[in-house]
Amino acid sequence: MKRVILAACLAVALVGRSAHAGSIGVGVFGGLSVPVVQSDVEQGSMFGVRVPIKLVPLVAVEPYFASSALGDAQEDVLGVTYTREGFDSKAYGANVMLTMGGPLQFYPFAGIGQTKLKRPGSDLSLTTYNFGLGLGISPAPKISVHIRGELAAAVDGEASRKFANATVGLSYALFSAP
Amino acid sequence: MKNIRLWLPGIALAGLISAGCMLISGQFTVVYTFADPINVVSPSALAGQVVDLNTISEYKDHKDNLKAVVDLAVLGKFTNLTSTNSAIEIWIVPSPGAALTNDAAVRASGQKIWGPLNVAGNSSVNVTWDQSAALFTGRQALITEVKGDGVFALYALANGPYSFRINKGAFIAVISAGR
Repeated sequence: MKRVILAACLAVALVGRSAHAGSIGVGVFGGLSVPVVQSDVEQGSMFGVRVPIKLVPLVAVEPYFASSALGDAQEDVLGVTYTREGFDSKAYGANVMLTMGGPLQFYPFAGIGQTKLKRPGSDLSLTTYNFGLGLGISPAPKISVHIRGELAAAVDGEASRKFANATVGLSYALFSAP
Repeated sequence: MKNIRLWLPGIALAGLISAGCMLISGQFTVVYTFADPINVVSPSALAGQVVDLNTISEYKDHKDNLKAVVDLAVLGKFTNLTSTNSAIEIWIVPSPGAALTNDAAVRASGQKIWGPLNVAGNSSVNVTWDQSAALFTGRQALITEVKGDGVFALYALANGPYSFRINKGAFIAVISAGR
């Protein structure tokens, strides 16, 4: 998985050199992660970092790391309430985004990564596919605010654990070239 | 650059395909409650519990599309009725048949799937979901049964001249199902 992500970044970097345009930034984000059709875990908070790399017009690659503390699930059995601890989730990967530029951006994105879901008696490491939509607003040079909604599907055998994530982030352009 | 621009839909499509039943799958909790109480009087006077998951709607509804069993737990209050410590285990007998009443018969025809749960003499332990999930040792045997006909028997055994009671016992399985 790491090799795929590194290869993706490298490929974009190489192609980007010929295009003579680009930027590299860093961003933080936080929000809510909501399990989709999962009765054994509840919604929780998430936060993370992103490194948007734009080396060709319209396309950006964005390695990311995200951490989520998912909520506990409860089940009433014969009058006793039992609690199953929510997953501690750690995810990393890379998204590819179609960005239009300008102070207001509306962009789709998709990506691949690895998600580690851990709780007592369970320790999973799953390939994850992400896709979603983002809205970027740049109130000042080098600074942009991003609001995103995404669906992340962590593939577990023949099924998957799905999460709907809503995040707000702040990015800063460390370097940009015309 | 044109190829790079194809990555986005390419990754999205690969994700949709690789995730299989991505949009119409889910994880569902199946709860099967035991007889209450279960009295395990001695190693030669056991009381087993036949589990028929087909009587549970969450299982019946998804049995045909069952992909995996992702979480298991045995719950309840375990009370040690002797003065010495007991290490309680749960054993599975895949084909229930006639009820087994002694320790040796269960060990001969079954497989340990859970435990040991250590209960001090003349005391009780309320097993939590998290604690129970971590005590599963024969996960695959139970998964095979859940993915199979859904009918099996569970027996509680221990070490030494044991005697204990299980109150409000239940079995929980979280299944992944989808088309």
